[in-house]
Amino acid sequence: MRLLVERFPETARDLWTDEDTVEVQIPRGSVVETLRTLRDDPQFSFFMLADAAAVDYGVGNHFEVVYHLYSDKHPAWLRVRVPVERANPRTPSVTSLWTGAMFHEREMYDMMGIVFEGNRDLRRIYMSPDYRSFPQRKDFLLPDDAADSSAAGVNPLERPETWDLTTFSKELTSSAATYPPLDTQVDVPAEAYPHGQESADKSRPA
Amino acid sequence: MTAVDPETRIPDPIDVDAAEEARLRAAAGLGPPALAPALGSEYAGFELVGVPDRPPQTEREREMYTLEEGEMLLNMGPQHPSTHGVMRLVVKLRGEVVTDLDPVLGYLHRGIEKLCENATYTTVLTYVDPMDYLASMHNEHAPAIAFEKLFGIQAPRRAEYIRALVVELNRVFSHGLMIGFLALDMGGLTPILYSFINRDDVVELLASISGQRMLFNFFRVGGVNWDVNDEFLSRLGKWHGTVLKSIGDNEKLITENEIFKGRTQDMGILNAEQAISYGVTGPNLRASGVPFDVRKAHPYSIYDELEFDVITQQRGDVYARYLQRIAELKQSLHLIDQIMDKMPPGPVQAQVPGIIRPKPGRAYGAVESPRGLYSVYAISDGGPTPYRFRMRDPSFITLQVMPLLMPSHLIADTMAIMASLDPVMGGVDK
Repeated sequence: MRLLVERFPETARDLWTDEDTVEVQIPRGSVVETLRTLRDDPQFSFFMLADAAAVDYGVGNHFEVVYHLYSDKHPAWLRVRVPVERANPRTPSVTSLWTGAMFHEREMYDMMGIVFEGNRDLRRIYMSPDYRSFPQRKDFLLPDDAADSSAAGVNPLERPETWDLTTFSKELTSSAATYPPLDTQVDVPAEAYPHGQESADKSRPA
Repeated sequence: MTAVDPETRIPDPIDVDAAEEARLRAAAGLGPPALAPALGSEYAGFELVGVPDRPPQTEREREMYTLEEGEMLLNMGPQHPSTHGVMRLVVKLRGEVVTDLDPVLGYLHRGIEKLCENATYTTVLTYVDPMDYLASMHNEHAPAIAFEKLFGIQAPRRAEYIRALVVELNRVFSHGLMIGFLALDMGGLTPILYSFINRDDVVELLASISGQRMLFNFFRVGGVNWDVNDEFLSRLGKWHGTVLKSIGDNEKLITENEIFKGRTQDMGILNAEQAISYGVTGPNLRASGVPFDVRKAHPYSIYDELEFDVITQQRGDVYARYLQRIAELKQSLHLIDQIMDKMPPGPVQAQVPGIIRPKPGRAYGAVESPRGLYSVYAISDGGPTPYRFRMRDPSFITLQVMPLLMPSHLIADTMAIMASLDPVMGGVDK
């Protein structure tokens, strides 16, 4: 920890530690250089990328990319937190340091919509390629949350803000599909769905 | 519906790439890029399976799906017996030799991380069970460690011993199954039967302590659900007498088998630098000669009180990964002996309130699962559910080495390499 302060006086902020983790926060611009020093410098020797995860601190707040590193010379995991703007979620890719960051970054792009500059295979990894939402963001609502939403008629599953409407309308006009018409309310409130019991009754012979 | 503000819209690198490419190609006087080869008369009437019907989204995708003369694409999966779950491999072939490969994941994606953000801390431990379904005990162990750090409590020592006991038992059947599946994928049917006999003994053993055969739901924040009972102890004694024989039967069938050695030695070699760079952990990493084991590197539970070495192999091929599993299996039996000898008396559950509301904070819990480093990063905002719950599953990360290991091998050998990496799709797709 002392070593970190000595070596990164200007970038390392918010040092914090618990029983087996040392935590440090660095700005987005210096991610690759700092992580390269941490990996290659024999004093640090954090040669293994244990985990890379994205955290959403909510609308009006920021994203965060969190790297966990392992070193055989230090008795603690190193947690490197990198804040990323929500309006422009771009951060440099670390695939040049660890090839194995590829799937981590693809997952973060798929789930949170964070764009990693320099990653040469930034595709969706879990969801299908034509999917347009980012499911692990905090403003992505589950069906159970629809009742709590202040926005009337919010689609319980997908947030329209994250859709690319130009492509979307092009898709609509190019095909015979008429669902959902753009000028009407897309979503049906959860209460409007027929009750499970009723539909089951209808399917029964009289 | 609100209109999209171009300033705040998520910039899509995919669209940028496609537009840039179209511009460059137009400037060079070229037409649209060739995605699929022109269908000659011999292929007329066949559809090229696996080629996406859209422009390539990334550099890597273009490289993968652009075929040269004499190459073809083959789709393996999503329903394929040797993919150990639901996964699709698009394999680029030249004759019978693999030249490139693209794993397509997500068929089993259930959004467990998102579900866990909406579940109480106690409930999370039940959600993670079906993730890596051959290592359910390990799946529960890492969140238990992370939540105890968040909450600032410690499980009683007897509970820690019982935890170590059940995770080692889990490791025994997981490694045993890997050996059986490796032989099965190369056409040997017998070893999997021995593996399943052993596995059935262990799950019955774990059922007698936890109540369930597969999804144990045994760990609690601050302890474990049940103490060891008489039935468990008598079953453990009986099992311990037979397990070495059942492993020995498999070893006699496989280890010195000429066909097995011919098909696994020098196959899918992964060297130490590549393994570290690709994030490979667990037995696969140790088979490449890197002595990294979370139980030694960051001892959790009571592993600092037990005596064991980090076993490594040097060659890094499929055969080394097989030998590594055998050695670790025997080591786990040795650890189980030590745990049973040293187990102290006492309670198995700390005093914990019904609804856990930890202070705001962050915690990282990592364990050595049979497939490698399995870790959990949990963030609390003071509420009854975790604010963020992140799981790092080792098989998901390990799958990245397939495009490195499989090219230049025959298509039949891809299955041996795949089985030697021992991925579990429930964990890969989360």
